[in-house]
Amino acid sequence: METVAVIFGGRSTEHDVSIITAIRSIIKPLELTKHFRVEAVYVSKDGSWYWDEKLKDITLYTSGDITGFLNKHHTLNVQFDGGLTFFKTSGITGRKTTQKIDIVFPSMHGTHGEDGALMGVLDMANVPYVGCGVRASAIAMDKVLAKQVVQANGLPVVPFVYFTKDQVDTEPLKCLKIITEKLHYPLFIKPAHLGSSIGISHASNDKELQNGLEVAVHYDDKVIVEEAVHNLIEVTLPIMGNNEPKPALLEQPLTSSEDFFDFDTKYIGGKKGGSKKGGVKGAQGYSQIPAKLPKQLEKQAFDLGLAVYRALECSGIARIDMLIDEKTGVVYFNEANPLPGSLYAHNWNRAGVSNVELVSELIRYGKERFAIEQQLNTTFKTSFLQQF
Amino acid sequence: MQVVVQDLVTNCDLSGKGKLVLLLHGWGDNLHGLRNLHKTLSSKYQVLSLDLPGFGNTDAPTTVWGLDEYGKFVAALLKKLELKQPYAVIGHSNGGAIAIRMVAQGLLNPERIILIAASGIRSDQSVRRLAFQVIAKTGNIATAWLPERYRGVLRRSLYGAAGSDLYVMPQLQETFKKTVRQDVQVDAEKIHIPTLLIYARDDDIVPLSYGRRYHHLINDSILAIIESGGHFVHQKQPTQVLEHIERFLA
Repeated sequence: METVAVIFGGRSTEHDVSIITAIRSIIKPLELTKHFRVEAVYVSKDGSWYWDEKLKDITLYTSGDITGFLNKHHTLNVQFDGGLTFFKTSGITGRKTTQKIDIVFPSMHGTHGEDGALMGVLDMANVPYVGCGVRASAIAMDKVLAKQVVQANGLPVVPFVYFTKDQVDTEPLKCLKIITEKLHYPLFIKPAHLGSSIGISHASNDKELQNGLEVAVHYDDKVIVEEAVHNLIEVTLPIMGNNEPKPALLEQPLTSSEDFFDFDTKYIGGKKGGSKKGGVKGAQGYSQIPAKLPKQLEKQAFDLGLAVYRALECSGIARIDMLIDEKTGVVYFNEANPLPGSLYAHNWNRAGVSNVELVSELIRYGKERFAIEQQLNTTFKTSFLQQF
Repeated sequence: MQVVVQDLVTNCDLSGKGKLVLLLHGWGDNLHGLRNLHKTLSSKYQVLSLDLPGFGNTDAPTTVWGLDEYGKFVAALLKKLELKQPYAVIGHSNGGAIAIRMVAQGLLNPERIILIAASGIRSDQSVRRLAFQVIAKTGNIATAWLPERYRGVLRRSLYGAAGSDLYVMPQLQETFKKTVRQDVQVDAEKIHIPTLLIYARDDDIVPLSYGRRYHHLINDSILAIIESGGHFVHQKQPTQVLEHIERFLA
């Protein structure tokens, strides 16, 4: 039986969301397969790592008892032994427990996890893992870089500009001038590296724009400002696979545009503007699956989603968000999510993929990519050292 | 809508047109707790409600705050949003105490004040408060031998049984302690503008006696007593509360 380590939590504003993704959408289905031994690794908000069977219990987090639990448990130690081995000591006698890890299933949204940082550690450890690699994760999680790569591949993105926190802090008026010269209201202002709609503002005038910039740089060191799409239909497309990516179903959030850019709407029951009518409850409120679009627009959205997945060199799984101008019929790339909340299992279920099949396939893709990487030559024979 | 005020990302909701009405929620609550009032009043007024620091989606203060700091924060928010003085301020529970303190200090200069189950009377040694202090003190001695993690759990249960809000927002414990020590009766005496006091007869958190006391202290006040509805009377009896408010503001 192979051992899968599911790593979740982390030093990110999306810490809590990652716990739900890990326990409900990854650990439970993996255990149901009966093919894997599942090890839960929780990264606390201060960055300490813990490994314990009890960390699979959601009530530990919902009750707030996690703090007490962590106080009486030792942190995890890792051994980079050409792979990855966990060990920890417990009890008065300091009993040592070790576990060789065959594959890692990262479940960390946002910074230090979804952005490629964790994947870098796993690459260094030479252990296979599920999902996008370092490059794709880092690019996808930077809204500016992602748009630049997509644009360079000849794919449509809405007009945008970006600034560093330093620029906004020291020359706010210059930033405002650049924005208003290059873009037209209404605008969206977003922290470049955060997900889950944290720190996103909508602006219809200079004052709102200024406030939005202040909020965005409060969370991030880079901010993107982009034009809102008129006659908007928002759609999202979960995709999995490596060289031959497979899409799930095109999904249309049923929240209003303004409310969609709100953490509560996405994750706290879709309570603001989320509507049950004609929709299903998913990871981020109510949505329509499949989205009801004219055939031509539907095809454009599928084509763009898959093209973006390839352009960003995604592997394993990702979700591509797109914006459609219903009148002009243009479909724009909006954002890529290398680790969709709850894996977007609700959408895959509708596409005929069960939760168990989803995690099993993702494990298979992780191992497949690792095997391909292992075939690459990482040595190069030289006489360089002999000259010293 | 989010704005940065005093370096804290602040979640607020500004909607409607007309004279400005400011809503201040109570301890442990957030702007959603006053949503009914906000929604109804915004058909006639411009209404601003906010998550006070540490509550809802607004960042928590990094130091220990009391009513004064909360008051200055609300004044800074109004300035940030380039809003003039509100026509009316509506405060529930601790939000009422903040409103009283702000008006007395001149940070707010409204034409009308509405206090719903407003707290801020701290010298009344009610049975509950007495029980709370006794439990807190004896609890500390009795549980001294327990490991800290068990003491924490026990403390939460004991304070909860005593009706204290101390553990409602664990990250704001010191701020809570500072806030509940502040008595605003002297401030209430300085208020000379029309004030509507709304209390439920069955409120067991902030009793009707507080309403009567404020009625005595604020010379231009009206006391509206609602038979039932408890501490969240504006949620339990929205029609009655709104009738009183709309009549008073008209």
